[in-house]
Amino acid sequence: MIKVEHLYKGFDGTPVLKDISVTYEPGKCNMIIGASGSGKTVLLKNLIGLMEPDSGDIYYGDRRMSELTSREKMKLRQRIGILFQGSALFDFATVIENVMFPMEFFTDWSPAQRRERAQYCLEKVNVIGSDDKYPNELSGGMQKRVGIARAIALNPEFLFCDEPNSGLDPYTSILIDRLISDLTKEFNMTTVVNTHDMNSILEIGDKIGFIHQGTLLWQGDRHSILETDCRELRDFVCANTLARNIIEGR
Amino acid sequence: MIKKFLESIGEYFLFLKMVFRKPEKWKIFWRQLVVESDKLILSSILLVGVISLFIGGVLVIQTASNLENPIIDKMYIGYMVRESLILEFCSTMIALILAGKMGSNISSEIGSMRITEQIDAMEMMGVNSAGFLVLPKLVATTVLSPLLMLLSLALGLVGGWIVVESTYIIPPPSYITGIKAFYNGFYIFYSCFKMSLFCFMISSIAAFNGYYAKGGSLGVGQSSTRSIVITSILILLADLIVTQLMLY
Repeated sequence: MIKVEHLYKGFDGTPVLKDISVTYEPGKCNMIIGASGSGKTVLLKNLIGLMEPDSGDIYYGDRRMSELTSREKMKLRQRIGILFQGSALFDFATVIENVMFPMEFFTDWSPAQRRERAQYCLEKVNVIGSDDKYPNELSGGMQKRVGIARAIALNPEFLFCDEPNSGLDPYTSILIDRLISDLTKEFNMTTVVNTHDMNSILEIGDKIGFIHQGTLLWQGDRHSILETDCRELRDFVCANTLARNIIEGR
Repeated sequence: MIKKFLESIGEYFLFLKMVFRKPEKWKIFWRQLVVESDKLILSSILLVGVISLFIGGVLVIQTASNLENPIIDKMYIGYMVRESLILEFCSTMIALILAGKMGSNISSEIGSMRITEQIDAMEMMGVNSAGFLVLPKLVATTVLSPLLMLLSLALGLVGGWIVVESTYIIPPPSYITGIKAFYNGFYIFYSCFKMSLFCFMISSIAAFNGYYAKGGSLGVGQSSTRSIVITSILILLADLIVTQLMLY
């Protein structure tokens, strides 16, 4: 479980996140949603430790992140899997080497064991027969899948996905969403997905937090989001034709 | 401007501190060292070789044309060519050429990894990205670059010999006698030391600029250009200081 308490973050005197308090639970797809520039990527970067909050606390389990030593932070990071917006696969490595990369550093497994685990992860995300290809030989959807396979390689407790559907066609987007949701439930991970894709939100959003101008305005799930009274959230939701039709009963 | 400059120097040394942390796994470090040696040093052999061969020939012609004096023994042409190659060309000039080749390679590679979040991904896995990406490059270039200097010297002398043999600008035996005359082993050490130092500067400054690249592909290009300009100036400055310290 991840708990955020009264988190503030700003840049050059301009507040970007204001008093964010939220809890992300295991076995659920926790979504951070909001328009571009609302602060959701900043929140995600604070959660994963790429940025330091100005004030407030982030707890992983019962440990406060700010109290961790750099060695403990390193250990914590090995329990975290991340899918970056652009997949961030290593150009110098093949598909299988990308997935084996964290194992090489943090396990004492033999090369055969690493390969076996990597192939298992790749099968989980349905990437078969592309072991020796380089990232630039893969489509965007395939890259995302390999990114997920790498993220789950060390069996993480926490999975963070930054805009997992950006640049993907609707069909591939749904496949990636379902993959994230299925893996979350199968491995009981605490998954946090940062997105503004309404299809994803309605498909897999077990717990949703809506950020507007740096403030967490609303929390709920994918069912309650369509019945919200929050005007800003309704505007955001109704920008999507499908969601608007559902709300308007069409 | 001065504050920014001083901040950059501080950041550079903090960056080196990250780079020189103990590798997570030595096995991975040795493997990367072999990869980087191939990519940075072995791949430079052809460029260094061709340039050295031609410069050696040109030096013979230029020196011979400046020493058309019957009193001066022709063997001094060979001697001067050798000394020019050892003292300046094979280390400083080759380092300036490598600043372009290796510097842009390192800076653009690491810079593009930065802007495509590959470095963030490594950091988030708990890997010391600076150590993994930069330390093998630094060690490979610093330790193996004297071999490039020695290769450059050998091929420079061969280039001069080819010109001597083919044009008979001076008698070939005089050239051979000249390149063997008044040999001072310390000059070889001095040149190898300079080469190591310059290559350390090239790889560390290029890696530093790439590691902190910002602003997309334009930023990567700017960081690459900046690293070449800074390194070239610093090589000339370091050349002056090291020469003063070691030869006087």
